[in-house]
Amino acid sequence: MNDANGYAAVVLRSMWRRASGRFPLMVIGLWVLVSVVSLFWTPRPLMQTDGYHTWQAPSAEHWLGTDGTGADVFSWLMAGSRTNLIIVILTVLVAAALGLLFVAAMVSRHTVLAGASVVVVDALISIPTVLIALVLAVPLGASVAVIVIACGFGYGLNLARVARPQALLVARSAYVESAMADGASGAYVLFRHIVPNILPVMLVQLSLSAGTAVLAESGLTYLGVGVPSGTPSWGHSLATTVRFISVYPLTVLWPGLVVTVVVVALNLFGDALRDAIDPVTNPALRQGTGVSGKEDGHGR
Amino acid sequence: MGVDIRGLRIAIGGQEIVHGVDLTVGDGERVGLIGSSGSGKSMIARAMLGLLPPDVAVSGSISLGGTEVVGASDRTLAGLRGRYTGMVFQNPGASLNPVLSVGKQIELPLRLHYDLARAERVDRVRAMLDKVGLPPDVEGKHPHELSGGQLQRVGIATALITSPRLIVADEPTTALDSITQRQIVDLLVSLVDGAGASMLFITHDFSVLARATTRCVVLDEGSVVETGETAALLAGPQDERTERLVRAARALTLHTAWPDATRDASAAASAQVSARECDEAEVRA
Repeated sequence: MNDANGYAAVVLRSMWRRASGRFPLMVIGLWVLVSVVSLFWTPRPLMQTDGYHTWQAPSAEHWLGTDGTGADVFSWLMAGSRTNLIIVILTVLVAAALGLLFVAAMVSRHTVLAGASVVVVDALISIPTVLIALVLAVPLGASVAVIVIACGFGYGLNLARVARPQALLVARSAYVESAMADGASGAYVLFRHIVPNILPVMLVQLSLSAGTAVLAESGLTYLGVGVPSGTPSWGHSLATTVRFISVYPLTVLWPGLVVTVVVVALNLFGDALRDAIDPVTNPALRQGTGVSGKEDGHGR
Repeated sequence: MGVDIRGLRIAIGGQEIVHGVDLTVGDGERVGLIGSSGSGKSMIARAMLGLLPPDVAVSGSISLGGTEVVGASDRTLAGLRGRYTGMVFQNPGASLNPVLSVGKQIELPLRLHYDLARAERVDRVRAMLDKVGLPPDVEGKHPHELSGGQLQRVGIATALITSPRLIVADEPTTALDSITQRQIVDLLVSLVDGAGASMLFITHDFSVLARATTRCVVLDEGSVVETGETAALLAGPQDERTERLVRAARALTLHTAWPDATRDASAAASAQVSARECDEAEVRA
């Protein structure tokens, strides 16, 4: 456990040393912090409205102004950050699991399974995420689950398609054959050889997916199939104010700015993490990671 | 009996590549399998461990220590690989995972086949590193930090860590320079003999074969063309195809012509000088 913590510390330190890694770490750190704080405290109660003070400009009382109901914009953005964080985490997990499942099938030694899974992925990938969300909204209604399932499905297929060439190279590599000659099973080869070696591709793709999930939450909520009305989210803040952009642009600017900054940070995060976990590009990882080092080489 | 192969046939896409090969490796015996590129040597090695893709048709019989490999389940094969057999590969750089430390890779067969405490695995890996002549700090390094010769020593350590009864060495010296080739062959031979194991040594290089094996099987276009004691076979090959291989090996590796073709004294002297220089360089190294 200590070894794993030590490994994570080395990776985080390496990311922090570069400006391209420090910015996403700061933004994501702030995002997580605000999400946690919003569970206990927001400047104003979310449901507190004031019909006499709608569309207010930023002031000492309302730091980012008020919306059309007189509710505090900053408080709603704070509370919305945790909804978006949950959506992003769940979407990335679903996409990673589904993507890996399809990658495993597509690089299988059983040629029929491998061929069939490529055709299935190609067929499914042509279905737009929005269409899947609209179909799911019929039984599920507007909910976080619709966003997570629709985006996770679409991004998982994309991940499988993008990672397949690299995974195929690894699966046919001499070191996988060597591991099999040592008695390694298919699952062992997948998790110890294929996953670590396609991790750079996966991280970049998943960080892009995380950014796209934030955008998709806004889009699907605007269409009425995303986060239900009354639940705070950045998409909800945008959807309820965007009609008034020509009259009260500031109210739309804040959630738009938050979404933009977070999406850029997520995109940069993948690149920075990929560089930090690669022993070829990160000399700090080349020492003390032997058999007596971190258990199982997790996190590679 | 280490290996008993009878009537082995291998076909890809309906085209037969290996035609009814018989091959045996006795307990404690070092046997060479030699042939030109494309003769089917590596296919036989992979068939022995069940490593050929499912769409490759394998028929005949391969017995490893009494267990039939042809048609065996994945579980049976996984139990044999790394435990009864150890394999040393041709390209040591490519046969090691670039993102795992050397220590992790050497201990893999131990993790897969034996329920050992972590500390014991670490001890065994360090002892194995010492046996193959590598310093202990190599354990924490990644493959790209090692030289070709060091990488092949890691490959040998991985193959031998579980003390398997049979070592399959598939052209383990091809990617190395001539001095390192000799060091690696000598190391492999001493470790295999020391452990009392058997070895099937696959190569297309007769000079390496002479150093590594006592008996050899010559393969040409998927068929066995000659079998015999390595020294006798090198001195007087009976088959025309074997003779061609030996002649080419002498011309390329020893820089001297086949004695029956021309008796060039200066070429022979040059070969002796080359061999002496090689020995001196090895001592210096």
